[in-house]
Amino acid sequence: MESEKSLLIVILDTSLTHDVMCNNKIRMSEYLNAVTVFVNCHVMLKPTNKVAVVVVDTIDCQFVYPDNNLSLTSLRQTTGQCEIFSQVEYSLRNNISNFISQNAKKDILTTEPLIGAACAKSLCYISRLERELEAGKSLNSRILIITGSDNECDKYVRFMNIVFTAQKQNVIIDVCSLEHDIALLQQACDITEGIFFKVPNLSALLQYLLWIFLPDPGIRKKLVVPPPNRVDYRPLCFCHRELIDIGYVCSVCLSIFCKFTPICTTCEVVFKTPTPLPGKAKKKKK
Amino acid sequence: MSESSSKKSSKHDLKSKTLHCKNLHEYLKTLSSSVLDRLYIHPITCLAVYRELSEIAKHYIIRIIFVEQPVPQAVIASWLSKAYAKEHKEAVEALTELKIWKESSVTGGLPVWELNPVFKKHIRVALLGGGKNWFMSSHMEADTKPRDIAFLDAYAMERWECVLHYMVGSHQQEGISADAVRNLLHAGLMRCDNDGSAIITKEGFQFLLMDTAAQVWYFILQYLSTVEDKGLDLSLCLTFLFQLRFSILGKDYSTEGMNDGLLIFLQHLREFGLVYQRKRKAGRFYPTRLALNMAAGQNQSDVSIREGYIIIETNYRIYAYTDSNLKVALVGLFTNLIYRFPNVTVGVLTRDSIRTALRSGITADQIVGFLRMHAHPKMISVGSSILPPTIVDQIYLWEQERNRFNFSEGVLYSQFMSQNDFETLRDYAQDLGVLVWQNERKRTMVVTKSSHDDVKKFWKRHSRGNS
Repeated sequence: MESEKSLLIVILDTSLTHDVMCNNKIRMSEYLNAVTVFVNCHVMLKPTNKVAVVVVDTIDCQFVYPDNNLSLTSLRQTTGQCEIFSQVEYSLRNNISNFISQNAKKDILTTEPLIGAACAKSLCYISRLERELEAGKSLNSRILIITGSDNECDKYVRFMNIVFTAQKQNVIIDVCSLEHDIALLQQACDITEGIFFKVPNLSALLQYLLWIFLPDPGIRKKLVVPPPNRVDYRPLCFCHRELIDIGYVCSVCLSIFCKFTPICTTCEVVFKTPTPLPGKAKKKKK
Repeated sequence: MSESSSKKSSKHDLKSKTLHCKNLHEYLKTLSSSVLDRLYIHPITCLAVYRELSEIAKHYIIRIIFVEQPVPQAVIASWLSKAYAKEHKEAVEALTELKIWKESSVTGGLPVWELNPVFKKHIRVALLGGGKNWFMSSHMEADTKPRDIAFLDAYAMERWECVLHYMVGSHQQEGISADAVRNLLHAGLMRCDNDGSAIITKEGFQFLLMDTAAQVWYFILQYLSTVEDKGLDLSLCLTFLFQLRFSILGKDYSTEGMNDGLLIFLQHLREFGLVYQRKRKAGRFYPTRLALNMAAGQNQSDVSIREGYIIIETNYRIYAYTDSNLKVALVGLFTNLIYRFPNVTVGVLTRDSIRTALRSGITADQIVGFLRMHAHPKMISVGSSILPPTIVDQIYLWEQERNRFNFSEGVLYSQFMSQNDFETLRDYAQDLGVLVWQNERKRTMVVTKSSHDDVKKFWKRHSRGNS
């Protein structure tokens, strides 16, 4: 009689700096509508399904649903929509627009969305829910990242740590990329047995979401899903952001460099200058 | 040959009929298609029906819900990997039965599945919005004395236990109306004794051991079957029930705009604790957890309403941490109670006590299910198997003890004129797989009752051919 809850956390990238948004390949409203319907579909599947949504951009990340400030009675139904769904829709719409207008006033420091931070927040949220579970119940959680970002995440080590934490917690990370093949996120999916998918046609975003990301991991085995891509496990070097096969690794903080540097740029430790390796010829003298 | 239609005794079927609680799907199948069509007009029913579908079927629907034209059958079949063809078939069957989609073909003869347009339209409304308002959420002022969830839970449980109390015969007639009693009688959970007082039936005992959500659902189903006699509209009542199911706990709803029939229905629900109303004319009501969990099924109910209270040890002792007479009475159905303290009752499971329960019509499955359902949180947290396996096995063994005979109905064929005739008929029956028993020396055989006609026809043909 073990009852299983299924939790889906959607990490929604709303940074407007990306190519996808700027060049009007998909309008913000379409994008948000698609995601809202997708989230509601997850709730619709089963009464035990739970959902949480985190918005992220280059400045901040924030939970927009569940919303503790939303009072039950303030919302009265005006259409035939089911109440739970209109609650989700209402809080998403309100909180996301607040979030965007808030951050529009602030200075943009990087062009990177803080996906790592959002993942970390989500993992904390999941572990809190797991602690609060009643005996004999289990929680099935996964994270879906929807992003239009193109750059590789610059906090490689930190992000990888988060991914391995997710793997340890049995949290699956799925990624729906709006435009680019992002090596780092592909690795994250591969490690946690999630799906990485690049949407080929943005006007059908909702259909892609429903087809690929709605099924729970349990049922994915039964449905025919697109075959996994081959994942490129080469890391980026920290100095030039290029994919490398062999490089130098800092013994303290595990930063990766393509060329030797006397001081680690990440943790500022001083390395010894490399001496030539002792040749094999010496041993033969004996 | 003479064929004596002496039935092998079947009336004394020891295995008593177990109380079968239909789920929503089975219930809807029994409804006529016109009622079903009227139901699909309400977005909320579409949603309720949708939730009852199998996982595969749910994904099928969600994939085609935003597709405007019918989808070829072959395409849908290709969504599921080949190893799960059986599940595909079941899903397709369920969807056809509920008239959610129907078979048709496009030009070119390609067989397609076409989603029921009424269903499609209204489930979209439920999901996306638009359409008409629910009839219970017209705007109103905030409640001056809002009730919190804990209060509602307590209220619901108290009302529901009132019904159960009445059933176990605590002789406190207060708080239960004639209507509810009539419903109990109608459902066959109780029957009238000679002197007019109601006593509990075998089914009633089984009913007591079900979990609360199932009890409520069973009760409501029985209620709904009488609803049209009372002059209420069945589809309207069902829709209202579904709305309750998808409402939010701890929120108040308005009765404004509800017609008289629904208001009567609401009062009945109030009596069973499915909704809370301060006064009959209060104009607002709160749905309780009973209404929300109703028909959600054991595994799906969001939050269980009551804490487990039973601890069982491998020495067959049962500790029930409760002060409620009802709970003690329930445990007492199949245990010998030894001690009774203010907050705990101790009992022991014996062969006799279990057999008494079995004799009164309860099955071992139900006993084990009951124990598992009400297991103390401490027991649940210990390990995967909640109950000690020895106890569970022993209860089943005690039940099997009683089933040494298998009874099957049949027709006896005897007094064959020749061995040859006997063998021909016996082999024929054997080939059909309907032979129950045979004895060559006595030239006697028994075939199942359903195939009696077949065998008789064959025998007539055979004897005509010979003569």
